[in-house]
Amino acid sequence: MLKFFTSSQSGDLNIVAIWMFLIFVAVTLYITFWAAKKTQSTNNFFTAGGNITGLQNGLAISGDFMSAASFLGISGLVFLSGFDGLIYSIGFLVGWPIILLLIAEPLRNLGKYGFSDVVSFRLDEKPVRILSAFGSLSTVILYLIAQMVGAGKLIEILFGLPYITAEIIVGILMILYVTFGGMLATTWVQIIKAILLLSGATIIAVLVLNQFDFSFNQFFDAAVNTHDNGAAIMAPGGLITDPVSAISLGLALMFGTAGLPHILMRFFTVSDAKQARRSVAFATGFIGYFYILTFIIGFGAIILVSNNPAYLSDSGNILGNNNMAAIHLAHAVGGNILLGFISAVAFATILAVVSGLTLAGASAISHDLYANVINKGANDKSQMVVSKIATIGLGLMAIILGIIFEEQNVAFMVGLAFAIAASTNFPILFLSIYWKRVTTRGVITGGSAGLISCIILVIFGPIVWVDILNNAQAIFPYKYPALFSMTITFFGIWFFSITDNSLKAAKEKALFENQYFRAQTGINKGLINH
Amino acid sequence: MRNEDLFKRLIDTKKRIIRPLLFLTVIPYLAFIYVIAFYPNYFSNMLLNSNVSIGIILGFLLIIVIWIVTLLYVYLANKHIEPIIKDLNN
Repeated sequence: MLKFFTSSQSGDLNIVAIWMFLIFVAVTLYITFWAAKKTQSTNNFFTAGGNITGLQNGLAISGDFMSAASFLGISGLVFLSGFDGLIYSIGFLVGWPIILLLIAEPLRNLGKYGFSDVVSFRLDEKPVRILSAFGSLSTVILYLIAQMVGAGKLIEILFGLPYITAEIIVGILMILYVTFGGMLATTWVQIIKAILLLSGATIIAVLVLNQFDFSFNQFFDAAVNTHDNGAAIMAPGGLITDPVSAISLGLALMFGTAGLPHILMRFFTVSDAKQARRSVAFATGFIGYFYILTFIIGFGAIILVSNNPAYLSDSGNILGNNNMAAIHLAHAVGGNILLGFISAVAFATILAVVSGLTLAGASAISHDLYANVINKGANDKSQMVVSKIATIGLGLMAIILGIIFEEQNVAFMVGLAFAIAASTNFPILFLSIYWKRVTTRGVITGGSAGLISCIILVIFGPIVWVDILNNAQAIFPYKYPALFSMTITFFGIWFFSITDNSLKAAKEKALFENQYFRAQTGINKGLINH
Repeated sequence: MRNEDLFKRLIDTKKRIIRPLLFLTVIPYLAFIYVIAFYPNYFSNMLLNSNVSIGIILGFLLIIVIWIVTLLYVYLANKHIEPIIKDLNN
């Protein structure tokens, strides 16, 4: 790793990267200062006042989704095994039409700050909000740990900062953005970062394709001729070895996106369902484009990085790890300046994504647990105070967990976060919007069963049980639990709802018509005029 | 009474727009995953004399389909759904 800085690349790298990064921090802190003045109420803190436009929100959503982990991880996966990277990209992307067609408008029409508002619309608020908060917090914290550990390692390599320093810088900046600037600052940090990341990735991809006269035939020929696996990189390979895993991963990716709390809360920053629709269309466009870029970057790295001694260790492996493929490629096609730019963008990306996650976690704590369970009827001021304390608490926790998990394999955590989102958050949200007969008992039983089964199946699965705990054989044979845990959730909700003959259940069903009317129209009154 | 009719029209219109688009997204995606799961070799067939596999072409087509679905929905919703909601609001 030391060689990375000393031999092949000079100290210039650090200077470009550090200046770019300092400019980013200065601009975003200025935005935070500006946003702080406009963030005086809980509503503004979590929704940015509801005045973000469709295009802005589309960029912010894509910013939330295009994490450093997905930029470096997917291009690294393409670099390693070609086609398999596309399976992830498409799975992540296919969640978006699902959100658009089924979730976005009812969510915007029924909710205030998050998806828990929708689930508790006609169900018993207390237990439902506790479950939603658990679903949100476990998703957010797992995602946060994965981001923090990735961030520390990346910054260590790119900027030469010690791991712990990197964790503290990321944690403190994130706390500043969110505590003072709330959703407004977080949204603008996200927008700036999305534009930077899309521009940076575009520049790399164009410079790569330029070397092949923009001919995809020549480009893919070169990749097949360079890679050790030859033509096999153009076909499904080692990522998925059996049909059950393929389907299970496919489901987790498709429905997980529709259950990510930090994504869902973005729909409350726009004025109405119409803007929510526009947001998703823009976001899908940007995210799809981004995945095409990561694919080109991954293949570009196969051709230009994998056999260039400057980027290889003495044993012939790529410096750092596969996730560094995009970074090395930036240097290969654009020299130290592009490398510095991409490094700064990666840092900015990490900051923006952890801020969005922390805000979603703070919303679960202050809006769901505090204002609607612990201290019902809390005034706006106390809720705002709790939101800020929650933000600081989550930020400090992120720093500490980031340091604790430094040496751990955290790659499974994003997968687990997606699995929980797909098996708890998405089913309870989807069924409470569309299924009249859903009851509190059904949601609580089915949702908890899904959440618990997800965690258990991952612990007993190959990644944790074998790779981390060093047991010989996994008790649960599949890496991805979603197929099983989603089935458990849907079956649980269905069974415990239809067998619920209580008076409370009857009342909940009776409230459906009004909820459905509002979900579909956004009109805040029942279907009147009988 | 008028509101109920309008709302029924809204729901019918939405279903007519959303269902086909949902099929257009989910069926090709599941088919894509199905081929990867059961017939991975099919995707390794190369397009005539090139090194571009069928899997990669179909993968990129799927991204384009997803784009078209979202744009089409926004267009259709603005044209057919928004006016009914507007009427309901009045």
